[in-house]
Amino acid sequence: MILAKTKNLRALVDGERRRQGRALALASLSAAVLSVASVALLSLSGWFIAAAALAGAAGLASAQMFNYLIPAAAVRFLAILRTGFRYAERVASHEAALKALARIRPALFAGLAAAPPKEALALSGGEASARLVQDVDAIETLFARLSNPWAAGAAVASGVALTGLAGWAPALALAAFCVIATFNARHLAPSHARLGRDQQRAAGALKDAVAAFAAAAPELRCYGLETWAADEIDARGRAFGALKLQSARAQGWSSLAQSAILGLAIATVVALAARASTSLAALAGLATVGTLEILAGVLKAMEQNGAVAEAADRLEPLLVHGAAQGVLAGSWAEPAIAFDGQLFAPGERIAIAGPSGAGKTTLFERLLVLRAPPAGFVQIDGVDLAALSAAEARRCFAYAPQDAALLAGTVRENLALADPQADDDALWAVLHDAALDIRVQQAPEGLDSWVGENGARLSGGERRRLCLARALLRPAPWLILDEPTEGLDEATETLVLNRLQQRLDRTGQGLLIASHRAAPLRLCSRLVQFGGSDAAQTPARSARV
Amino acid sequence: MAVAPASVAAPFAARDWLRAAGKGEGGVQLSGLLLILDAFAAVGFALGLAFGVTGISSGLLRAAPWLALLAASAALRGLLAKAAAEAGAGAALTVKAFARRHAFAAVLAQPPGGARTAGESMAAVVEGVEALDGYFSRFIPARLASAAAPLVVIAAAAFASPISAAIMTATLIPFIVGMVLAGLSAAEESRRQFQALERLSGLFLDRVRALPLILAFQGEAVQVRALTLRADELQRRTASVLRIAFISSGVLEFFAAISVAVVAVYCGFNLLRLLPFPVPETLDLTRALFVLALAPEVYAPMRRLAAAYHDRQAAEAAVASLAPLSQATQPLTVAPPPSLDRAPAIRFVGATVLYPGTDRPVFDRFDLDVPPDSITVVLGPSGAGKSTLLHLLLGLAPLSAGEVWIDGLQLSAVGSFAPLIAWAGQAPLIVPGTLADNIALARRGATHEEIAEAAERVGLGGALGARTMGLDARLDERGGGLSGGERRRLAFARALLKPAPILLLDEPTANLDVESERRMLSVITEAAKGRTTLIATHSDRVAALADQVIRL
Repeated sequence: MILAKTKNLRALVDGERRRQGRALALASLSAAVLSVASVALLSLSGWFIAAAALAGAAGLASAQMFNYLIPAAAVRFLAILRTGFRYAERVASHEAALKALARIRPALFAGLAAAPPKEALALSGGEASARLVQDVDAIETLFARLSNPWAAGAAVASGVALTGLAGWAPALALAAFCVIATFNARHLAPSHARLGRDQQRAAGALKDAVAAFAAAAPELRCYGLETWAADEIDARGRAFGALKLQSARAQGWSSLAQSAILGLAIATVVALAARASTSLAALAGLATVGTLEILAGVLKAMEQNGAVAEAADRLEPLLVHGAAQGVLAGSWAEPAIAFDGQLFAPGERIAIAGPSGAGKTTLFERLLVLRAPPAGFVQIDGVDLAALSAAEARRCFAYAPQDAALLAGTVRENLALADPQADDDALWAVLHDAALDIRVQQAPEGLDSWVGENGARLSGGERRRLCLARALLRPAPWLILDEPTEGLDEATETLVLNRLQQRLDRTGQGLLIASHRAAPLRLCSRLVQFGGSDAAQTPARSARV
Repeated sequence: MAVAPASVAAPFAARDWLRAAGKGEGGVQLSGLLLILDAFAAVGFALGLAFGVTGISSGLLRAAPWLALLAASAALRGLLAKAAAEAGAGAALTVKAFARRHAFAAVLAQPPGGARTAGESMAAVVEGVEALDGYFSRFIPARLASAAAPLVVIAAAAFASPISAAIMTATLIPFIVGMVLAGLSAAEESRRQFQALERLSGLFLDRVRALPLILAFQGEAVQVRALTLRADELQRRTASVLRIAFISSGVLEFFAAISVAVVAVYCGFNLLRLLPFPVPETLDLTRALFVLALAPEVYAPMRRLAAAYHDRQAAEAAVASLAPLSQATQPLTVAPPPSLDRAPAIRFVGATVLYPGTDRPVFDRFDLDVPPDSITVVLGPSGAGKSTLLHLLLGLAPLSAGEVWIDGLQLSAVGSFAPLIAWAGQAPLIVPGTLADNIALARRGATHEEIAEAAERVGLGGALGARTMGLDARLDERGGGLSGGERRRLAFARALLKPAPILLLDEPTANLDVESERRMLSVITEAAKGRTTLIATHSDRVAALADQVIRL
């Protein structure tokens, strides 16, 4: 079993298989009917022609006696049956697979979000895209080919039964060749699996190298390394290509073996049908063609096992942490927070000062459990943050990060992250407080204006103010603002800070603010100075302003 | 170029591009030729079947040679299919290597952070190039074969039964018409579905990038719901595309079956001698079986072509992003401007950077004077264009208007000042090899002593020396064992190793603790001696080194 070692993924896949059970059952049934119809169609055509020839050779009387209506009608019926059920099988199996994938992708994202921050945030964009898109595509075949055993079983059963009309020996021979074909495919399977895995890995290595070189483009240009980098990419591309070629060769060997088996099988079956009539020999020969062609198609699907297994191995780590847990699990209305032995009461406004790299952003990321907080580092209402669940910690804070990160989406979507239930009035109110309301009103689409990837359509200052507006919208007892006014001119900064002060006076929210500028720090009643040799750990001094 | 005419002409431009890319690839033709030879093997198979089945009643000995022919033909078909697949795959390999080189050169010429995202760059170089595979290894050979193979089969059938051959020829024409119609109807739908797929991957990429934000706002559940909606939408679109594809392939299959049935009915009635009209031929069972075994082979090459149709659509869709890349590509090696033996002045005069396809310049009419042998610090938030300013000097960002001067040299004339510049960036390149190998990338042929000195000056010697084998420490691709700060120092060691009169530093102290930053400041001061230095940074401590500070 391909998923033997990936038990979380298997549970997910099994669940989706149950959910799509009806469609998958229909697909299996259709595949079985399709196999029977295909084999019967070929056999009957062969028999019909041979029988007609015999009747014709026996003279006009026996030709007129020959009932051509029923076989001719049966051939047409089988042709229609084959076309119809092939369509039904394809539609049912692919729709079931697509529906399952449409649920598996978000489930993987949920699993990623639930992972410990170190793992969740370590995944690069390229890797994430490879997992959620290509790797999930690779496991589609786990659904699409569930009908395969039915198709193969029905083909072999009907083929052997029809060949049996020409005697037990041809039937036995066909059965034996089916076993040989299956055995052959199983024998070749490990090398296909290895090549499949190697290919997936080589494609990943190529991607990683492209991403690394693209990010280092200035260095490459400066040091005259561009041609060298192109050669490196070339080498990786060729290594990947060589594997592909090897795989094409291996598949060629497989199909060559299956063709040879098919040829031998027909020759043997026809030879063994020597005692039966010519028409039955024709029937047996063509039944053999039909059966082995279907079987070869089914066995070919096994060649993808390696790629599926590799994809499954890479998806499994995303699922080990289960889905994201329920939101808003905390119990405090307005918690006090404490770090480094200092207690900060609800509603206090604290300036975090210190040079770059002194650990201000690290402090915030630890409060939000975006980095694992060391034990005893922070207490929330006397409870160690490290002992709390991430959800309990995060519900205490609304955050405007230093890098002013935005979602690719509209202004509304970005704000909705903070409060999905907020109405338009609330959105406009926070935009006003962030001094962004006029800019958004002027945009033709208003709240539904597209901000671009990570806010690419906005200026640096606009991005920062949108992030501030979003933090203001979240109903959390503490507001964390990391460099909220960087990139703003003085007039806008003053406006934003005045409105922030009024809002805080009104809501009684606490404030943690880090800034290298003086004005934001003036809002605060306490100052925590970061610095010193072990700056990332220790606030050096704190003071009342 | 206007947008509308370009998109109308797109498929044709894409086809020209593909044709040019595949020019001279003999393997593609060879693959097609092998598929045509397969038609001859099919004839052998039909002969063996017809004579084998009719001969068997008069004894195994008479049938044996024909049965042997049948088995040999079947094996030969397998061999030809294998050879055709390999020839096609081999040719596709060459085309892909060529296309990949172009696409990658374009990515280097315009790195992510400008108009393109890292995801787009990667998709073009990896998935975009890979999408060409099926076009060259399957579609083109299938198209070549579909032109000749049916005629070979029909000609063989004509020897046994001219009228059956005539029936085959007559049904071929409506079959081709039906195939073209089916292909056309699927094309538009599959383009739309391709877009939906791109949008979904884009959404995933973005939400993974923004994951810290989503976690901080506890938006996981909402985002999962949103992703589910989009994934459902993609599923519906894909399902409808597939339905069309399945219907059209079903129609083709049914049509082929009916055509075979017409031949079969004709043969049957001819054998029964019950045809209602006179025909100039009298069939026997051998001829009839032969013709019947051949009949499906007439349509098989067409159906193979129809099955490879989506390879063409995928390739054309990919070319839409590859073709502009290959046009935009500048030569990889920039001609070195006359070398300078002293630190020059840098002057930005009304410099404007506007990435193609965007409406907002990164900076507009920017003026700046950097005196020779001085340090200028550029401060500003992320996204304000600090890095773009440095990229401009390297020719990695487009100079849309204005000019940049380095002493008497014009950027618009030389394209890039790269040979004059040493650089330490935000994401230093790390290649598998030793630390010394990695530093030496900056100057091939640097002596071990020079490398060791550079490493020592940025504080890499001590940090690594105590822990591992120092300069001989092996690094893997992901820079295993190096902290974020140590990576910066590695970049810095490279900058020190290159004797260039201009030094560009992009966030040289980010991720360093205060003590290391202080040590780094003295390194910067020392490295900047005798050089004109431009630093993009967030750090006030770094800004304190500057002779002038600019805020973007």
